[in-house]
Amino acid sequence: MFDTRENIWAAFWMIGAAILIFALIPLLQTLPPRGRYLLIAFVTFIAGLFFAAEFFLPVDEKTGKNFLTDPFQRLQGSLQVITALSLGLGTYGLIRLHLRNAVQRRAQWGYSIVLLVSFVTMAFFSVWNTLAEKGLLGVQRTPLLERAFTLLFDYTLVQLDATMFSLIAFYIFSAAYRAFRIRSVEASILMFTAMIVMIGIVPLGKFISDSIGLPIMMTDEMRTNPFALETILYSLRLPEVANWILNVLNAPVQRAIEFGVGIGALAMAIRLWLSLERGIT
Amino acid sequence: MEQRTLWSRMMAIDRRILYLILAVNIVGALMARVVLEPNIPPAVRSFYETIEALQPGDIVMVSSTWSAGTLAENQPQFEAVLRHLMRKRLRFTIISFTPPARDISHRLARRLTREQGYVEGKDWAHFGYTPDIVLAVKGMSEDIAQAVRQDVRRVPIQQLEVMRGIKSLKDYKLVVDITPSDTLTAWISFRPRDLKIIYCPTSVMAAEAYTFLDSKQILGMITGAKGAYEYEHLLGIVGLGTRFINAIQFSHVLIITFILLGNFAMFMQRRSRS
Amino acid sequence: MDWLLAFLPLNFERTSIWIGAICTLAIYSILYRENPFYRLFEHMFVGLAAGYALGPNLVDVIYRFWWEPIRQDGIWWLSFVVPFGMYLYFIYNEKYGWVSRIVIGALIGASAGLAFQAFSSRYLPQLQGALSKVLWYPPNSTGEIYISTILNNWIFVVILLAVLTYFTFSFEHRGAVKRTATLGRWLLMIGLGAIFGNTVMARMALLIGRVYYLLDSWLMVRIGGG
Repeated sequence: MFDTRENIWAAFWMIGAAILIFALIPLLQTLPPRGRYLLIAFVTFIAGLFFAAEFFLPVDEKTGKNFLTDPFQRLQGSLQVITALSLGLGTYGLIRLHLRNAVQRRAQWGYSIVLLVSFVTMAFFSVWNTLAEKGLLGVQRTPLLERAFTLLFDYTLVQLDATMFSLIAFYIFSAAYRAFRIRSVEASILMFTAMIVMIGIVPLGKFISDSIGLPIMMTDEMRTNPFALETILYSLRLPEVANWILNVLNAPVQRAIEFGVGIGALAMAIRLWLSLERGIT
Repeated sequence: MEQRTLWSRMMAIDRRILYLILAVNIVGALMARVVLEPNIPPAVRSFYETIEALQPGDIVMVSSTWSAGTLAENQPQFEAVLRHLMRKRLRFTIISFTPPARDISHRLARRLTREQGYVEGKDWAHFGYTPDIVLAVKGMSEDIAQAVRQDVRRVPIQQLEVMRGIKSLKDYKLVVDITPSDTLTAWISFRPRDLKIIYCPTSVMAAEAYTFLDSKQILGMITGAKGAYEYEHLLGIVGLGTRFINAIQFSHVLIITFILLGNFAMFMQRRSRS
Repeated sequence: MDWLLAFLPLNFERTSIWIGAICTLAIYSILYRENPFYRLFEHMFVGLAAGYALGPNLVDVIYRFWWEPIRQDGIWWLSFVVPFGMYLYFIYNEKYGWVSRIVIGALIGASAGLAFQAFSSRYLPQLQGALSKVLWYPPNSTGEIYISTILNNWIFVVILLAVLTYFTFSFEHRGAVKRTATLGRWLLMIGLGAIFGNTVMARMALLIGRVYYLLDSWLMVRIGGG
């Protein structure tokens, strides 16, 4: 790892940067609470200003870029790294909790041991597999790695993950039978729509419509004469009704929800950018 | 007195019996040798025709964010899409935004492409995993080499034969977003304006996407395993969608029957009380 | 006898499939009742999922976007990124926990700054789509627009306005506005009904996928459908 000159320089820069950044903490600690709030608000504002300005500033017609586009390109990799580190926070918290359970022999600490052993095993093979895939650090793909990773990933993790999510089907079925009661106008509309959509979108809907003799195809003549009996009968086919519900009735409802959410999200984004939202930063 | 007991017994049925009924229904439907002709909705036909309209050598971005939790819905879509892209001799690149999606899509793509004689690096590539989709899409809209740097095997983007003549997403013809989560809005918000998108959501996300279909922000959509079946039918192949569709439709019949049964039992119990 | 020999876990592939089946059945045991078998596999799942993410995050992200640019391209300022990101992990410390909010602030600021582009690209085309609905035959129309399209567009616009009225909380709903909001609430149920129908299909499909694995891969039973 430290053979080449580049590696030595890289290590030097990293250690130096780490020392500088962590040495900053006692300095930052001297800030009063108001100063800390101002620092956080400043960092939030600058980060937001950069991206907002990059979008709003006019672009050069030939290149399609403004002066912030190239800095963004250079920065986006580092933001990906910070995002990956933020995702690691959850894992860190989980391991911390279960380690504590195991060490202090709290209730059900045996399961915590299982979790920790699974974590270490999978982490080992996952890192080994990814390194071997990229040929990093001279790591090779071996039959042991292939089999172990296949077993742990394809035949254990994937199966457990898929099964966990599939449990909901049972609960939905049970809840639909025991709890779904048509007691109001709203519940009736919801249920009736759901039933038509559920049958109309699957082949069974087409089969039922064909079986009861409804017209099978829409012709040009039917299109120009919407009030003809044949056209009306065609429109009553379950798939046509389901598609009409989804495209003509459901789409504007979703759009109205989108508008509401969009305006709310923009307002919230501005409040966060200007640190007006207490308790977040 | 007898009727009251019957209705209240129906309403208080042990949930494990309900689970067993559902399981038996699904097993029976999966084993049934029944094939019903699908109705192809306009969104699926448009999805198919958007890929059909591309020319051999055009490049497509496949955004594959699904993992094991939605395997049954997204895997049929992924396999059918890749088979269609390879049939049309299109170049494609895959990118993932969650860690498990990376390995699942890469391993599956390796198996499927080997069957069709596609070579990784030459005809297709996998860009690996990046955690932030917004930054990735925005970055790729300007310069893929700088945004992604290398493929999953650590080959620099500039050295990949599949990326010859491609600098950014502006050179792509199409994005296919196969996802169980809200990645579509990131693609719509940050892609180059003329880049077309077609969408493969799980059924949960599909209802919300009709507004994007209406505004032509997406040009086509296949909804879950059912949509994969309709798409497979257009392609003339038999895949997982075709194998699942019987069980899907008969589970719908079961759930509707039991909802009506539950409401009927409630109604009868109320009547017998009064 | 052939089926039995093929079914038993006598080679690596079959053993793997058996392990997958055992994992599946262990999780499904919760449907009968709470039991230690389920708890064991549940904790194993959480451990495996957390452990797996380490590989892609460390190698695909941190190595690719941090270590390699520093080492190969000499972008030395990137050295500060990971230590700065490590400030996040101070969140568990009572005394120094506030420094994590500097990084959180940067991430939130970045998302907020990107929200403007997201808003314009996502919502303005939808607004345009809604405003450009054809509500009557345009002058010089050559018969390409059908009465059904116009009727559907009217329905679209009415539903959109009714549901938007329902979501307007800036003033009290009275009279005609109240009736419109009530209509909006009923029409909202249509959208929710469509979502419910699709949700049922999604969840059933996930279960069907698992049952298919047990029948096709584990028990090697022939599945119908095509």
